[in-house]
Amino acid sequence: MRKVGALKWAAGRWDSFGLPFLVALLLLVFSLLSSPFRSVYNLVSNLSFASLVAIGSIGMVFCIMSGDFDISIGSMSALAGVLGASMVARIGGPAAMLVTVALATLCGFVNGVFVTKLRIPAFITTLGMQFVYRALAYIYTTNTPVYIKDPFWLSIGSGSVLGIPFPVVLMVLCFGAAVYVLRKTPFGRYVIAVGTNRNAAMLSGINVDLVKNAVFTLVGFFVGIATVVTASYLGSVNPGMTGQGYEFQVITVVVLGGTALSGGNGNLLGAFFAALFITYMQNGLGLKQVNSYWQYVATGMVLIFAVGINRLKSAILGQRET
Amino acid sequence: MKKILCVLIVLMVVGGVVFAGGQGEKKSTQKTVGFSLWTMEYTFFQAVEKGVRDACKDLGYTYVMIDQNGKADKMVNDLNSLVGQKVDGIVITPVDPGAIGPAVQKARDAKIPVVCADIGKSGPVNALLISNNFKGGQMAMEFIDKTLKAKGVTSKKVGVGTVQPQWTYARGRGDGFIAKAKELGYTVASELIVQNPTAEGGYDTMQQMMSAVPDLAAVFYCSGREAVGAANAIKAADKPIIVVGYNGDPEEIQAMRDGIMAADIAQQPYNIGYESVKLLQKIFAGEKYEDAVVPVEVALLTPDTIDKFQADYEAKMKK
Repeated sequence: MRKVGALKWAAGRWDSFGLPFLVALLLLVFSLLSSPFRSVYNLVSNLSFASLVAIGSIGMVFCIMSGDFDISIGSMSALAGVLGASMVARIGGPAAMLVTVALATLCGFVNGVFVTKLRIPAFITTLGMQFVYRALAYIYTTNTPVYIKDPFWLSIGSGSVLGIPFPVVLMVLCFGAAVYVLRKTPFGRYVIAVGTNRNAAMLSGINVDLVKNAVFTLVGFFVGIATVVTASYLGSVNPGMTGQGYEFQVITVVVLGGTALSGGNGNLLGAFFAALFITYMQNGLGLKQVNSYWQYVATGMVLIFAVGINRLKSAILGQRET
Repeated sequence: MKKILCVLIVLMVVGGVVFAGGQGEKKSTQKTVGFSLWTMEYTFFQAVEKGVRDACKDLGYTYVMIDQNGKADKMVNDLNSLVGQKVDGIVITPVDPGAIGPAVQKARDAKIPVVCADIGKSGPVNALLISNNFKGGQMAMEFIDKTLKAKGVTSKKVGVGTVQPQWTYARGRGDGFIAKAKELGYTVASELIVQNPTAEGGYDTMQQMMSAVPDLAAVFYCSGREAVGAANAIKAADKPIIVVGYNGDPEEIQAMRDGIMAADIAQQPYNIGYESVKLLQKIFAGEKYEDAVVPVEVALLTPDTIDKFQADYEAKMKK
């Protein structure tokens, strides 16, 4: 009885404390195993690195909560990045950064229009647009990387505010704003309602198409911000390499963070901690010279474990599986 | 409130381990060389890694290796990680040479020399060790010319499967090939970038070339695995097109043994890795290297010479 009670206690608190606990445990284990891992420099620089995926995951949480997902974000990042970066010489760094965010937002909006107005399933839409955006990036740049020389833009990736790396500050601000929107605004409630039951949401007066379009636009917006940071980090945007595999990294983080692929149920802070977990895990394994193939195995097993844990939790609590 | 508590727990653990980590650390007097590698998936890079590792062992350096897993952003993060570990020198084989600039600057600001082992460079690197790619491309065309004449082939049309633009030094292979082709009176009837740098990409590109130029006499692929894919496409189409590749990996050697590939320009990845560390040794001793390019010779491999080449390669990898 006591064992069952303890299990139920743990299961009931998994959503809130599970991932933070695992992150803390991971940090502790790798810190004991590797002295380079536990240095301030390593921990802080990887926190900064985690922001590249974490910021992009914010929009994806909303998207998956609404019952869809977007697999064009990697290519979207490449296109917006090369277009924005190429404008630095003409309009200056700060304006070019805004253009990058605006272009990525526009890409998200376009995806939303195809899904809502043309009624093309999101998987097909974003699969197709994945090729279109990448191809446009190649065509625009004739397959040549665009280098960023603007000091302001470059300082985004390497600068700090009161000693905290700027990407980390930006990540916290983005998550803060997103949590507020999800929990305290009608839009947040509409996203949950649409993802839980689209027909019921429609019958209750929610403009489902508008919500969906807004969600895809949000995906583009946060991808745009992540692209600005990534471009600053790398000092360049490469039409062929920027964003390669980004959609899978982001979706992994979102699912690991506890957002249900079936929609309706989402966990923004879960995505934040999941980004930290994946980043530090790969960092720790790398510093321990673990073969890179086994690192891929570890990442895959973590994802399966996360989904398995959620199902186990539901079973223990007697909840409907999501 | 619960979420804030979670964040505080994580921060406390982080603070605790960092505090624990800061106690009693003694810096070894042995120099440490950090090596950041594109990927361990390909035999070429496995040989580079072995060269770096053996050189560190022979020269008495501590060796730290991080795999970029083929990702540019991880490559930058790994470089930053090596700087944070205060290594004495860095060797890097970058997946995206154009993206290392800011991270290399950080390393140089921390007084850590950086040597690129193959692929390319950007930013204030001390040196780049790379195969003499232009000459290798020329050697490929010279071999094709000699072979076509020996076979009595009259078509003067050749093709080239080249690499993506950011690999500027590897593109020198194609440039050398094209320059020699024009010098010898050939027409480069098809020049395609292999977007997918794998055997499948080479296969696909070769099919496009054969459709566009039915009387193609020979083709040169700037990367070995793509050349193997192209050779298989030619075999499937049953066409008498000569294929020459570039790298000298086991897959290409097998393709030559199978008779589907005529020749290969062999790089010396083990030597590139080994010499990169020896260059670091010179820099540690005070020699000045700034943005230097150090060419490493390549060799023409044919079915007659592959046994000796393979024996040498295996001896180095088993060392």
